Amino acid sequence: MTATTTPPLVKRLTGIGWVRSNLFPNVWSSILTILLLPVLLYSGYRAGLFLLVNAEWEAVERNLTLFMQGTFPRDQQWRLVAQLPLFALALGAGLGTASSSAQDRAIEAGLPHERTSPIGIVRRFWSVIGFVLVLLYFASTANPWFVVLGSVLAFLLGFQIRGLPARFRLYGWSLMSLLLVAGFQVVSGTTGRAWLVTAIVVGIGAWTLTGSERIVPGWRTWALKTGAVIVTSVLVFLLYSVITDPGVGWDKWSGLHLTLWVSALAIILSFPFGLIMALARRSGLPALRLLATTYIELIRGVPLIALLFMGQYVALFFLPAGSSLSSISRAIAVFTLFTAAYVAEIVRGGLQSLPPGQTEAGQALGLTPPSVIRLIVLPQALRAVIPAMVGQFISLFKDTSLLSILAIFEFFNVRSLVHGQPDFRVVAHAETLVFVAVGYWAVAFAMSRESQRLEGRLRVGAA
Amino acid sequence: MTTPPSPLSTRVPLWRDVRVLRVVGQVLAVAVAFLVLRWLLGNLTSNLDRLNLGLDFGFLSRPTQFQVPYHSTFNPRAPVADMVLVGIKNTFLAGFSGIVIALTVGLMVGVSRLSQNWLVARLATVFVEFFRNIPPLVIIIFFAAAVFTFGPFPNLREAILVSAPGSSSNLVILSNDQWGIPGFAGGSPLFTGLIGLGLILAAAGWLWRTRLNERTGRPHHRLAWFLGILIASVIISYLALGRPVSMSWPAQSENRRLIVGGFALNWGFMSVTAGLGLYTASHVAEIIRGSILAVPKGQNEASTALALSGFQRYRFVVLPQALRIAIPPIINQCLNLVKNTSLGTAVAYAEIAALTQTSIGNGRPALQSLIVMMAVYLMFSLSISLLLNLVNQRFQLVTR
Repeated sequence: MTATTTPPLVKRLTGIGWVRSNLFPNVWSSILTILLLPVLLYSGYRAGLFLLVNAEWEAVERNLTLFMQGTFPRDQQWRLVAQLPLFALALGAGLGTASSSAQDRAIEAGLPHERTSPIGIVRRFWSVIGFVLVLLYFASTANPWFVVLGSVLAFLLGFQIRGLPARFRLYGWSLMSLLLVAGFQVVSGTTGRAWLVTAIVVGIGAWTLTGSERIVPGWRTWALKTGAVIVTSVLVFLLYSVITDPGVGWDKWSGLHLTLWVSALAIILSFPFGLIMALARRSGLPALRLLATTYIELIRGVPLIALLFMGQYVALFFLPAGSSLSSISRAIAVFTLFTAAYVAEIVRGGLQSLPPGQTEAGQALGLTPPSVIRLIVLPQALRAVIPAMVGQFISLFKDTSLLSILAIFEFFNVRSLVHGQPDFRVVAHAETLVFVAVGYWAVAFAMSRESQRLEGRLRVGAA
Repeated sequence: MTTPPSPLSTRVPLWRDVRVLRVVGQVLAVAVAFLVLRWLLGNLTSNLDRLNLGLDFGFLSRPTQFQVPYHSTFNPRAPVADMVLVGIKNTFLAGFSGIVIALTVGLMVGVSRLSQNWLVARLATVFVEFFRNIPPLVIIIFFAAAVFTFGPFPNLREAILVSAPGSSSNLVILSNDQWGIPGFAGGSPLFTGLIGLGLILAAAGWLWRTRLNERTGRPHHRLAWFLGILIASVIISYLALGRPVSMSWPAQSENRRLIVGGFALNWGFMSVTAGLGLYTASHVAEIIRGSILAVPKGQNEASTALALSGFQRYRFVVLPQALRIAIPPIINQCLNLVKNTSLGTAVAYAEIAALTQTSIGNGRPALQSLIVMMAVYLMFSLSISLLLNLVNQRFQLVTR
């Protein structure tokens, strides 16, 4: 049947008509409206009265720096100031690259493409932007304004990468990751651990960037890739023996800065680990399956706090005598291991949703098992689980508040520093609580909206 | 290969033979896991030897040595095992009450989000978006601060006593520390056992009526049967055992520092249950809304065509299909709630995580204490997973 369908007529209601059909459609609904309206108006009035008139925001105003960067050494503050524009640049480059691939896909599918415009971004991330404006409102000097302005400009600059042709797109992504690493290292310094982080990121970049167009790479390609990794690692090493900068290690980070970094690091590190666990759990090898299942079910069966206690009280027993890991490093490790188990379950859902014909078709084409997974299974499975994954990362972000139970001064626990000050010992508890809650809410809400948007765009989730 | 072999005798080289690779892969994985574990355990034993610490669970029978908050009857000289039992009981209490709040509020809000009434739907949306995007810890602390620490209630010495008109016993006692509500006093193991028996009988009655309905199509009235058997057995055993329980009304002790009689709720418990209940309710509401929307529109239209009323449409067509989708994720949320009761640590609620932390602070061996605590949570998780599997079996759509 190819009957043309016309959409049903929608009557646009205005004024009285709208009120009647939306507030008083029948008796029960009218009673509800009449009961709810005064309650709503009164609580709105009380909330407005508190937020705008009665609240004493001095505790937040005077401690804004504390909330943002915690006890980060003040003479090293320039590091944080430099970090933000670098990240904005990275974010702009990343979004620009993503938007150009989305554009390509849309053109390929013959669909209209909605261009990512700055105004669209403001509309999508209004909660975060609102929170930043609240922060600027509380700022007592002009410096935060300059930092925000610089970051916005850097973001717009990075976004100019949009429209990148497909064969350069990998460079867009690697530019983004290099900027992220640079931002990390402006703060953490370029010694020891930082060397390792950079070498890994640059190594992965070199591995993916060199290669052939062939689907199944031959030994020449492998040799080329390995060579590229070795050369870049040596270059990174030489670079680091020239530039050494002590920096401020993450053991000294706190405040919102620490919260964001713990979430980001745990997200980045848990993803590959969870992916491997999911593949192991779905593999045909019983021993692998058993190991992965035990790990996943054990971790998922206990609360995060139990694992954080493990990391805090007994993790050092399991390491060679004399080795030391700061409590923040141990917490990041615990968050990573914890999230990996959940990521594994989510990815497993995606793998299960894939019809077996896909794998069989790949095998029929003569692809090796790793190539089947890399080229056929994963792209489809991962696409299907992006929204669920974002949901997991939201809950990871919220769970970083548990660090306060370990006496680590992340965003939420800065409150206890503020209320340790003689001026705010018993006052303004509600104000700081509201401020912190709004901060968490703004970020988590924006992320959840993004995941809903992705769900709609990828047409996954509820079929 | 230099000499091309004849096609018939082609043998896959060993390193490309799938059968060989499978075995090698598994042996390698097990070996790596084994080596890592051995390394960790080797470090553990050498560290424990160096520090002169044991790995035994003897501490469970040694005295607890601290007072469990809000358990004035708990003797600090009681063994640690008793403290663990108190922790399990409190974890269960908070988990159970939290689940009751989460399911009721979640169901109401989830259905409200689909309401025709603009105001109701908007309010439900605001509720969901608010509670879903704030860390549960912040919500719990908010309740603790807004209702108790800095709330409107006086301290326990000047507590608000609410009594029913014309009676001298209190219905409720409100303070910023503890609330008292009516409870039961007395009771005997025999009475509890009889009630348990009544519950089993009632469940059997439910099953029998369901089977009967499935076999003959007669109306089952299973809820009436279930409640009838249960109430009858409670009344019969109550009378037969000579009134073993009585109502107990809350009252203040002589020095006004404690609540005696009735059932005392402390502020930690109430913050944890209210906070987690509402946090989880926002997730449950989303699940319920999603699963109602997931029922195909044709089902609704078909039941309207069959002239079912609005209630009948929901009761017999939409909800049975929606619940099949909704129940597994809802049980998962309940599991999350039980695990989240560990946040009681932040408000000094004496559940297993908080007690374990205090106990470690008092010099009990950390590793063993944490193993006990994780075992307790695994027990809770596994029993809820078992329930989930049973429910899944029952509700799974039978196809082909």
